[in-house]
Amino acid sequence: MSTYQWLLVFHVTGAFLLLGGGAFAASLNLIALGRDRPSDIVLLFGLIRIAVVAISLGTLLAFVFGLWLVHEANYRYGDGWVIAAIVTLIAANALGGAGGRRDEKTAQLARKLAADGDEPSAELRARVHDPISLGLSYGSGLLLVLVLALMIWKPGA
Amino acid sequence: MLALIRPDAWNLPLFLHVLGATVLFGTVGVVAVAGFAIRRGTDHQLLLARVAQRTYMLGVIPAYIVMRVGAQWIDGKEFPNGNEPGWVGVGFLVSDAGALLLVVVGILLAVRRERILLAVPLLTGLYVLALGVAWVSMSGKP
Repeated sequence: MSTYQWLLVFHVTGAFLLLGGGAFAASLNLIALGRDRPSDIVLLFGLIRIAVVAISLGTLLAFVFGLWLVHEANYRYGDGWVIAAIVTLIAANALGGAGGRRDEKTAQLARKLAADGDEPSAELRARVHDPISLGLSYGSGLLLVLVLALMIWKPGA
Repeated sequence: MLALIRPDAWNLPLFLHVLGATVLFGTVGVVAVAGFAIRRGTDHQLLLARVAQRTYMLGVIPAYIVMRVGAQWIDGKEFPNGNEPGWVGVGFLVSDAGALLLVVVGILLAVRRERILLAVPLLTGLYVLALGVAWVSMSGKP
Protein backbone atom coordinates (compact mmCIF):
# COMPACT_ATOMS: atom_id res chain seq x y z
CA MET A 1 0.00 0.00 0.00
CA SER A 2 1.11 3.57 -0.65
CA THR A 3 1.84 6.19 2.01
CA TYR A 4 -1.51 7.81 1.20
CA GLN A 5 -3.36 4.52 1.79
CA TRP A 6 -1.61 3.93 5.13
CA LEU A 7 -2.34 7.47 6.28
CA LEU A 8 -5.99 7.00 5.33
CA VAL A 9 -6.17 3.74 7.31
CA PHE A 10 -4.94 5.47 10.50
CA HIS A 11 -7.12 8.54 9.86
CA VAL A 12 -10.23 6.37 9.38
CA THR A 13 -9.30 4.30 12.45
CA GLY A 14 -9.31 7.56 14.40
CA ALA A 15 -12.72 8.45 12.97
CA PHE A 16 -14.12 5.06 14.03
CA LEU A 17 -12.78 5.41 17.56
CA LEU A 18 -14.07 8.98 17.76
CA LEU A 19 -17.60 8.45 16.40
CA GLY A 20 -17.89 4.91 17.76
CA GLY A 21 -16.83 6.19 21.18
CA GLY A 22 -19.49 8.88 20.94
CA ALA A 23 -22.15 6.28 20.10
CA PHE A 24 -20.91 4.12 22.98
CA ALA A 25 -21.19 6.99 25.46
CA ALA A 26 -24.59 8.11 24.14
CA SER A 27 -26.02 4.57 24.46
CA LEU A 28 -25.04 4.36 28.12
CA ASN A 29 -26.07 7.95 28.86
CA LEU A 30 -29.56 7.37 27.44
CA ILE A 31 -29.99 4.35 29.74
CA ALA A 32 -28.70 6.36 32.72
CA LEU A 33 -31.52 8.87 32.13
CA GLY A 34 -34.00 6.16 33.08
CA ARG A 35 -32.26 5.02 36.30
CA ASP A 36 -32.66 6.32 39.87
CA ARG A 37 -30.36 4.12 41.97
CA PRO A 38 -27.00 5.84 42.59
CA SER A 39 -25.08 2.57 42.14
CA ASP A 40 -26.66 2.18 38.67
CA ILE A 41 -25.41 5.65 37.74
CA VAL A 42 -21.95 4.78 39.11
CA LEU A 43 -21.82 1.66 36.93
CA LEU A 44 -23.08 3.36 33.75
CA PHE A 45 -20.89 6.47 34.11
CA GLY A 46 -17.96 4.18 34.90
CA LEU A 47 -18.47 2.28 31.64
CA ILE A 48 -18.62 5.61 29.77
CA ARG A 49 -14.94 6.08 30.72
CA ILE A 50 -14.11 3.41 28.13
CA ALA A 51 -15.62 5.74 25.53
CA VAL A 52 -13.55 8.66 26.82
CA VAL A 53 -10.35 6.67 26.14
CA ALA A 54 -11.56 5.74 22.63
CA ILE A 55 -12.60 9.34 21.88
CA SER A 56 -9.26 10.75 23.10
CA LEU A 57 -7.22 8.27 21.05
CA GLY A 58 -9.53 8.74 18.05
CA THR A 59 -9.19 12.52 18.18
CA LEU A 60 -5.40 12.24 18.21
CA LEU A 61 -5.28 9.77 15.30
CA ALA A 62 -7.86 11.59 13.18
CA PHE A 63 -6.21 14.98 13.77
CA VAL A 64 -2.54 14.01 13.25
CA PHE A 65 -3.08 11.72 10.27
CA GLY A 66 -5.70 14.08 8.84
CA LEU A 67 -3.18 16.94 8.77
CA TRP A 68 -0.59 14.60 7.23
CA LEU A 69 -3.13 13.54 4.59
CA VAL A 70 -3.79 17.17 3.63
CA HIS A 71 -0.08 17.47 2.78
CA GLU A 72 0.19 14.05 1.14
CA ALA A 73 -2.90 14.56 -1.05
CA ASN A 74 -1.79 18.06 -2.10
CA TYR A 75 -4.69 19.87 -0.47
CA ARG A 76 -3.95 23.23 1.19
CA TYR A 77 -4.09 23.86 4.94
CA GLY A 78 -5.91 27.12 4.11
CA ASP A 79 -8.75 25.36 2.24
CA GLY A 80 -12.11 26.29 3.74
CA TRP A 81 -13.21 22.70 4.42
CA VAL A 82 -9.90 21.88 6.15
CA ILE A 83 -10.15 24.93 8.43
CA ALA A 84 -13.86 24.22 9.09
CA ALA A 85 -13.10 20.59 9.98
CA ILE A 86 -10.28 21.57 12.38
CA VAL A 87 -12.37 24.28 14.09
CA THR A 88 -15.38 21.95 14.37
CA LEU A 89 -13.24 19.13 15.80
CA ILE A 90 -11.73 21.48 18.39
CA ALA A 91 -15.22 22.81 19.26
CA ALA A 92 -16.54 19.24 19.59
CA ASN A 93 -13.71 18.38 21.98
CA ALA A 94 -14.26 21.55 24.01
CA LEU A 95 -18.00 20.83 24.37
CA GLY A 96 -17.40 17.15 25.13
CA GLY A 97 -14.72 18.00 27.69
CA ALA A 98 -16.99 20.51 29.45
CA GLY A 99 -19.85 18.01 29.49
CA GLY A 100 -17.50 15.31 30.76
CA ARG A 101 -16.34 17.47 33.68
CA ARG A 102 -19.96 18.05 34.73
CA ASP A 103 -20.65 14.31 34.39
CA GLU A 104 -17.64 13.54 36.60
CA LYS A 105 -19.18 15.67 39.37
CA THR A 106 -22.44 13.75 38.90
CA ALA A 107 -20.51 10.47 39.17
CA GLN A 108 -18.83 11.68 42.38
CA LEU A 109 -22.23 12.46 43.91
CA ALA A 110 -23.55 9.05 42.76
CA ARG A 111 -20.57 7.27 44.40
CA LYS A 112 -21.20 9.12 47.66
CA LEU A 113 -24.93 8.33 47.63
CA ALA A 114 -24.25 4.68 46.71
CA ALA A 115 -21.96 4.37 49.74
CA ASP A 116 -24.58 6.04 52.00
CA GLY A 117 -27.39 3.55 51.44
CA ASP A 118 -27.94 3.69 47.67
CA GLU A 119 -31.27 5.48 47.91
CA PRO A 120 -32.63 7.51 44.96
CA SER A 121 -31.98 11.24 45.27
CA ALA A 122 -33.70 14.23 43.67
CA GLU A 123 -30.35 16.02 43.40
CA LEU A 124 -28.75 13.13 41.55
CA ARG A 125 -31.72 12.79 39.23
CA ALA A 126 -31.56 16.52 38.47
CA ARG A 127 -27.84 16.28 37.72
CA VAL A 128 -28.26 13.27 35.41
CA HIS A 129 -31.01 15.17 33.55
CA ASP A 130 -29.14 18.50 33.63
CA PRO A 131 -29.95 20.13 30.25
CA ILE A 132 -26.59 21.94 30.13
CA SER A 133 -24.61 18.68 30.54
CA LEU A 134 -26.81 16.89 28.01
CA GLY A 135 -26.59 19.82 25.59
CA LEU A 136 -22.79 19.89 25.82
CA SER A 137 -22.39 16.13 25.32
CA TYR A 138 -24.95 15.69 22.54
CA GLY A 139 -23.88 18.96 20.92
CA SER A 140 -20.36 17.56 20.81
CA GLY A 141 -21.67 14.42 19.12
CA LEU A 142 -23.54 16.43 16.49
CA LEU A 143 -20.38 18.42 15.72
CA LEU A 144 -18.49 15.15 15.21
CA VAL A 145 -21.11 14.09 12.65
CA LEU A 146 -20.60 17.49 10.99
CA VAL A 147 -16.83 16.82 10.84
CA LEU A 148 -17.55 13.50 9.09
CA ALA A 149 -19.78 15.32 6.58
CA LEU A 150 -17.02 17.88 5.92
CA MET A 151 -14.51 15.06 5.38
CA ILE A 152 -16.75 13.38 2.81
CA TRP A 153 -18.19 16.37 0.91
CA LYS A 154 -15.04 18.54 1.16
CA PRO A 155 -16.97 21.69 0.17
CA GLY A 156 -14.88 24.02 -1.98
CA ALA A 157 -12.13 21.46 -2.65
CA MET B 1 -4.93 9.35 -5.70
CA LEU B 2 -8.01 8.26 -7.64
CA ALA B 3 -9.79 7.88 -4.32
CA LEU B 4 -9.57 11.65 -3.94
CA ILE B 5 -11.63 12.26 -7.08
CA ARG B 6 -15.15 11.22 -6.18
CA PRO B 7 -18.37 12.22 -7.98
CA ASP B 8 -20.73 14.28 -5.79
CA ALA B 9 -23.46 11.65 -6.20
CA TRP B 10 -21.37 9.18 -4.18
CA ASN B 11 -21.10 11.43 -1.12
CA LEU B 12 -24.48 10.81 0.54
CA PRO B 13 -24.33 7.00 0.33
CA LEU B 14 -20.71 7.06 1.52
CA PHE B 15 -21.66 9.35 4.43
CA LEU B 16 -24.51 7.04 5.47
CA HIS B 17 -22.28 3.96 5.10
CA VAL B 18 -19.46 5.39 7.24
CA LEU B 19 -21.81 6.94 9.83
CA GLY B 20 -23.72 3.67 10.15
CA ALA B 21 -20.49 1.66 10.43
CA THR B 22 -19.03 3.90 13.16
CA VAL B 23 -22.25 3.83 15.21
CA LEU B 24 -22.43 0.05 14.67
CA PHE B 25 -18.85 -0.25 15.99
CA GLY B 26 -19.70 1.76 19.11
CA THR B 27 -23.02 0.08 19.89
CA VAL B 28 -21.74 -3.45 19.31
CA GLY B 29 -18.93 -2.45 21.67
CA VAL B 30 -21.51 -1.56 24.34
CA VAL B 31 -23.13 -5.01 24.05
CA ALA B 32 -19.71 -6.68 24.30
CA VAL B 33 -18.63 -4.59 27.30
CA ALA B 34 -21.95 -5.18 29.11
CA GLY B 35 -21.52 -8.91 28.51
CA PHE B 36 -17.96 -8.98 29.80
CA ALA B 37 -18.83 -6.72 32.78
CA ILE B 38 -21.48 -9.24 33.90
CA ARG B 39 -18.80 -11.96 34.15
CA ARG B 40 -17.08 -9.93 36.89
CA GLY B 41 -19.82 -10.93 39.34
CA THR B 42 -21.44 -7.52 39.60
CA ASP B 43 -24.75 -7.17 41.43
CA HIS B 44 -26.13 -5.21 38.46
CA GLN B 45 -26.77 -8.18 36.19
CA LEU B 46 -30.31 -7.12 35.31
CA LEU B 47 -29.20 -3.58 34.47
CA LEU B 48 -26.35 -4.83 32.26
CA ALA B 49 -28.72 -7.24 30.52
CA ARG B 50 -31.05 -4.31 29.81
CA VAL B 51 -28.12 -2.23 28.56
CA ALA B 52 -27.25 -4.99 26.09
CA GLN B 53 -30.86 -5.57 24.98
CA ARG B 54 -31.79 -1.91 24.52
CA THR B 55 -28.54 -1.03 22.80
CA TYR B 56 -29.00 -4.01 20.49
CA MET B 57 -32.57 -3.03 19.54
CA LEU B 58 -32.19 0.77 19.40
CA GLY B 59 -28.53 1.08 18.35
CA VAL B 60 -27.06 -2.00 16.70
CA ILE B 61 -29.97 -2.92 14.41
CA PRO B 62 -30.66 0.63 13.06
CA ALA B 63 -26.91 1.29 12.61
CA TYR B 64 -26.47 -2.01 10.74
CA ILE B 65 -29.34 -1.14 8.39
CA VAL B 66 -27.93 2.35 7.66
CA MET B 67 -24.43 0.90 7.09
CA ARG B 68 -25.68 -1.90 4.83
CA VAL B 69 -28.08 0.26 2.79
CA GLY B 70 -25.30 2.84 2.31
CA ALA B 71 -22.92 0.06 1.22
CA GLN B 72 -25.32 -1.32 -1.37
CA TRP B 73 -26.18 2.17 -2.61
CA ILE B 74 -22.59 3.27 -3.20
CA ASP B 75 -21.60 -0.14 -4.57
CA GLY B 76 -24.28 0.27 -7.25
CA LYS B 77 -22.89 3.69 -8.17
CA GLU B 78 -19.18 2.84 -8.01
CA PHE B 79 -19.33 -0.61 -9.58
CA PRO B 80 -22.54 -0.68 -11.67
CA ASN B 81 -21.33 -3.72 -13.61
CA GLY B 82 -20.49 -5.71 -10.51
CA ASN B 83 -16.73 -5.96 -11.05
CA GLU B 84 -15.85 -5.20 -7.45
CA PRO B 85 -12.22 -5.36 -6.27
CA GLY B 86 -11.23 -7.58 -3.36
CA TRP B 87 -11.50 -4.88 -0.69
CA VAL B 88 -15.21 -4.50 -1.46
CA GLY B 89 -15.60 -8.25 -1.05
CA VAL B 90 -14.02 -8.05 2.42
CA GLY B 91 -16.58 -5.41 3.38
CA PHE B 92 -19.53 -7.47 2.14
CA LEU B 93 -18.18 -10.61 3.82
CA VAL B 94 -17.92 -8.84 7.18
CA SER B 95 -21.33 -7.18 6.83
CA ASP B 96 -23.23 -10.25 5.62
CA ALA B 97 -21.58 -12.77 7.94
CA GLY B 98 -22.02 -10.12 10.63
CA ALA B 99 -25.77 -10.04 9.98
CA LEU B 100 -25.95 -13.76 10.73
CA LEU B 101 -23.87 -13.28 13.85
CA LEU B 102 -26.08 -10.39 15.01
CA VAL B 103 -29.22 -12.52 14.51
CA VAL B 104 -27.68 -15.17 16.79
CA VAL B 105 -26.82 -12.47 19.36
CA GLY B 106 -30.40 -11.17 19.19
CA ILE B 107 -31.80 -14.64 19.85
CA LEU B 108 -29.41 -15.18 22.77
CA LEU B 109 -30.39 -11.81 24.29
CA ALA B 110 -34.09 -12.67 23.90
CA VAL B 111 -33.78 -16.20 25.33
CA ARG B 112 -32.09 -15.15 28.58
CA ARG B 113 -33.51 -11.75 29.46
CA GLU B 114 -32.19 -11.61 33.04
CA ARG B 115 -28.59 -12.52 32.33
CA ILE B 116 -26.25 -12.25 29.36
CA LEU B 117 -24.86 -15.59 28.16
CA LEU B 118 -21.08 -15.79 27.67
CA ALA B 119 -21.57 -16.32 23.95
CA VAL B 120 -22.92 -12.75 23.58
CA PRO B 121 -19.73 -10.86 24.54
CA LEU B 122 -17.61 -13.42 22.69
CA LEU B 123 -19.60 -13.05 19.46
CA THR B 124 -19.90 -9.27 19.68
CA GLY B 125 -16.22 -8.95 20.60
CA LEU B 126 -15.39 -11.01 17.51
CA TYR B 127 -17.62 -8.75 15.41
CA VAL B 128 -15.88 -5.62 16.72
CA LEU B 129 -12.58 -7.12 15.50
CA ALA B 130 -14.15 -8.03 12.14
CA LEU B 131 -15.40 -4.46 11.73
CA GLY B 132 -11.80 -3.33 12.33
CA VAL B 133 -10.60 -5.62 9.53
CA ALA B 134 -13.33 -4.24 7.26
CA TRP B 135 -12.50 -0.57 7.84
CA VAL B 136 -8.77 -1.20 7.36
CA SER B 137 -9.51 -3.03 4.11
CA MET B 138 -12.02 -0.48 2.84
CA SER B 139 -9.99 2.60 3.70
CA GLY B 140 -6.60 1.19 2.64
CA LYS B 141 -7.98 -0.54 -0.47
CA PRO B 142 -4.94 -2.85 -0.77
